Amino acid sequence: MIDGVLELARRRLDQGDGADALERRVERTSVTFEWGRLKAAGVTEEAGVNLRVLHRGRVGIAGTTNVDAQHAAPLLDRALASAELGEEIDLAFPSRAKLPRVTTHVARTAEASLARLIEIGQFLLDRLTREGCQVNVAIEREVAETWVANTAGAAGSYRSTGVAVSADVWRIAGDDVLAIGDAIESTDLPAEDALEGVVRSITHRLDHALRIVAPPEGALPVVFTPAGLSAVLLPVTQGLSGKAVLQGISPLATRMGEQVFDQRLSLTDDPLAPGRAASRPLDDEGVPSRSTCLVERGVVQHFIYDLETAARAKTASTGHGQRGIFGKPVPGYTNILLGDTAGEGGRGKGTWQGELGGGLLSDVRDGLLVDDLIGVGQGNVIGGAFSHPVALAYRIERGEIAGRVKDAAVAGNVYELLKRIAGVGNDARWTGARFTPSLLLEGVAVARR
Amino acid sequence: MIDRLTAALAASRADFTEIRVEQAWTSAVTMRGRRLESATANEDQGGFVRALNRGSGWGTASFTSLDQLTAMVARADELSRAVRLERPIRLGEVVPQQAEAILDLDGDVRGVPLAEKKRLIEAYNGAMLAVSDRIVDTLASYRDEVSEYWYVNSEGAVLHELRPEVTLSGTAVARRDGTIEKGLESIGLRRGWHSVQDKAAGFRAAAERAVQLLDAPTVTGGTYPVVLDPELAGVFIHEAFGHLSEADFVYENPQAREMMTLGRRFGKPVLNVGDNGAAGGLRGTLPFDDEGTPTQDSALVREGILVGRLHSRETAAAMNERPTGNARAISFRHPPIVRMTNTYIANGRGSFADLIRDLKLGVYACGAFGGQTMLENFSFTAAYGHMIRDGEVAELVKDVVLAGNLFQTLDRIEHIAGDFRWNQMGGGCGKGGQFPLPVTEGAPHVRIEEALIGGDLPPA
Repeated sequence: MIDGVLELARRRLDQGDGADALERRVERTSVTFEWGRLKAAGVTEEAGVNLRVLHRGRVGIAGTTNVDAQHAAPLLDRALASAELGEEIDLAFPSRAKLPRVTTHVARTAEASLARLIEIGQFLLDRLTREGCQVNVAIEREVAETWVANTAGAAGSYRSTGVAVSADVWRIAGDDVLAIGDAIESTDLPAEDALEGVVRSITHRLDHALRIVAPPEGALPVVFTPAGLSAVLLPVTQGLSGKAVLQGISPLATRMGEQVFDQRLSLTDDPLAPGRAASRPLDDEGVPSRSTCLVERGVVQHFIYDLETAARAKTASTGHGQRGIFGKPVPGYTNILLGDTAGEGGRGKGTWQGELGGGLLSDVRDGLLVDDLIGVGQGNVIGGAFSHPVALAYRIERGEIAGRVKDAAVAGNVYELLKRIAGVGNDARWTGARFTPSLLLEGVAVARR
Repeated sequence: MIDRLTAALAASRADFTEIRVEQAWTSAVTMRGRRLESATANEDQGGFVRALNRGSGWGTASFTSLDQLTAMVARADELSRAVRLERPIRLGEVVPQQAEAILDLDGDVRGVPLAEKKRLIEAYNGAMLAVSDRIVDTLASYRDEVSEYWYVNSEGAVLHELRPEVTLSGTAVARRDGTIEKGLESIGLRRGWHSVQDKAAGFRAAAERAVQLLDAPTVTGGTYPVVLDPELAGVFIHEAFGHLSEADFVYENPQAREMMTLGRRFGKPVLNVGDNGAAGGLRGTLPFDDEGTPTQDSALVREGILVGRLHSRETAAAMNERPTGNARAISFRHPPIVRMTNTYIANGRGSFADLIRDLKLGVYACGAFGGQTMLENFSFTAAYGHMIRDGEVAELVKDVVLAGNLFQTLDRIEHIAGDFRWNQMGGGCGKGGQFPLPVTEGAPHVRIEEALIGGDLPPA
């Protein structure tokens, strides 16, 4: 539909005006195993168009799930009505450019039968079932096609596939409720070793969790696993968003080029990472994808921008425009990688590599290993201060896991804690769209209740 | 539409089939700082089919193209047949309802020009900005929706509803040097345009609080008697207890079932908790849930004892209990799952002053920036707090994070005031990838004898 609506826009708009649009068609197939048995299978078929117009210097937005050609005119009318109210902005749509190559579509994923998806789930269920525990497994396969184009000549489209596999094991003993899960996602169907990785990751953490020990207390060394790092990295990624910088609420706004973090901290956003569901050849505003170095060896290098945020900040889009069917584009990350991205042996595998803590435990006499926290994202995140009860954490004593701790909380300020990284694990893996190893940070406040 | 749906039902080969169709008109205006961020009007429509066969599981299909209706009914049946089950899924009995429920639109938002909606939220945003030059950023949103809804199933239910909703939200960010604080305002109503006029005061108060918090000390972490204001008490009972009352958590999990055995003591006799989907005029209120079951007031805890839980038709049948009208979906994109509606702690006795009179040192935790539970552990971030000293509300404190164990904390509620109110907020509840579901929470002031406040953790 977008060619039609953009053609219509060209005829209706004035000199100096412009428009861009995104169309996405998605088919999702899901199978759900609930409390140890297959319960449901479902499909979702969805299509939609998001249109933005620049009319007399003002931006208007409209979206619809009615993608038949006859709905193009009313969609344009609504976008123009929205632009009537819009603020003035000096927005320039990108022109045609060569797009990088990235594989986003795997045929065997798109063609996999329902029976094949059920088989994957059944494999995990069988391998995870154990006495006194309940298992949930969900498999979701997505096949999508995306078109992006504008009146300045930029155009691109791609087909994509994605498979998300998640499993969690629940163990309730009296009032002690324990849930340990793992999830993997990729453009391809998971190979058996990736599924085995999920099983090992869950069973290993479950085995160590059966023994409950008292939490330590004080300012202590804490190993944050790749999953546990969410609370530490969220303030940083929020602060590196050009939108937060523009709003004046990012603590990093004035720190470009400065050594803010430990030399061992490098962060990259890579929309071309192979095999990842978030990868794509161009962003949702038609800007070609490229890797963006956010932090290099502790020095802040780039903020991320979409077209409008970049126009207001008088800089260029970094290709981070993300848009849904109904809202306006916003800056958003694709795949975030922590560490020396060139030399990672395990990169892209995303599977369970070995021991908890990635070799960092031996340096800890008394401390904590944090795998999951409660309340990440709540409160005043961007300032860098955090305080969370643990959801899943283990006590480390003399270099070994002593057992699971309950009723403990960790707190600190990430801008203080990340000034010095005491250790980087050898267990880098994908957690959602983030690739990180475990990190050992010192002086994290640990309290018990 | 009804004829189209009943024809599609008639063509289904499945033992049980249900179809939901929704058509929604939404508009939204967002201001950030002094700028308009966006003003949009959208139309969204689609359907959801669910099929069930004997010896099989659920097959579902959701779609945005209504031309696909008949094909999707066949698809759902096919998917159901692909899921082989030994223990069959049964559905709790519900008398099939035929109803036309057109809720009061209270000034139909579809008739109000977008420019007028912009003027309204611009004024509320301006009220925040005018508070102080310390306010460096604001976010103010107006959002409305009218959704036309059809539900039919193969047992004979035929429902047609028109549901309005309007929400306002404001965030004021105050900054001085490196210190950043925020204040929130949120209003959510199942009503229309008339109900969101004259709301500037709440936005102004949010901005004033953000500025005041710049000078407020961080609360000293530790264990205190804690008094929750009705807003935070409502969030607490929803997050920490309500989710455990959802029967899909327990119905096929023997250990969870044991933990949530009816008759178990959860609190002192002063504690009464319920969920009322039929309460008048609230955001979580609807005449029927998304399985066509009439909503009702369900007692969950009576005088400290667990007496009930929230059900879908499937969980009710599995536990030999009755459907409670709590199977809800956020839209046609999702299946109905067991959800809360309007969840409350019922009134106790006495005033707020009575509640704090004998506290030498305590924390008064107010409002909520967020809350999360992981099973029996929870964490809530209050919007702000006050110390309680010698029976009086004393200085403002910030970074008040309340953390604890659900069972211990419920048992430590010994005093509940008689000043119940519903919190008519926007936002909503998230579960199973479905967010935001309109819900309401209500409570009076509640006192917890001892709880961990993790603001500034004490230095080692």
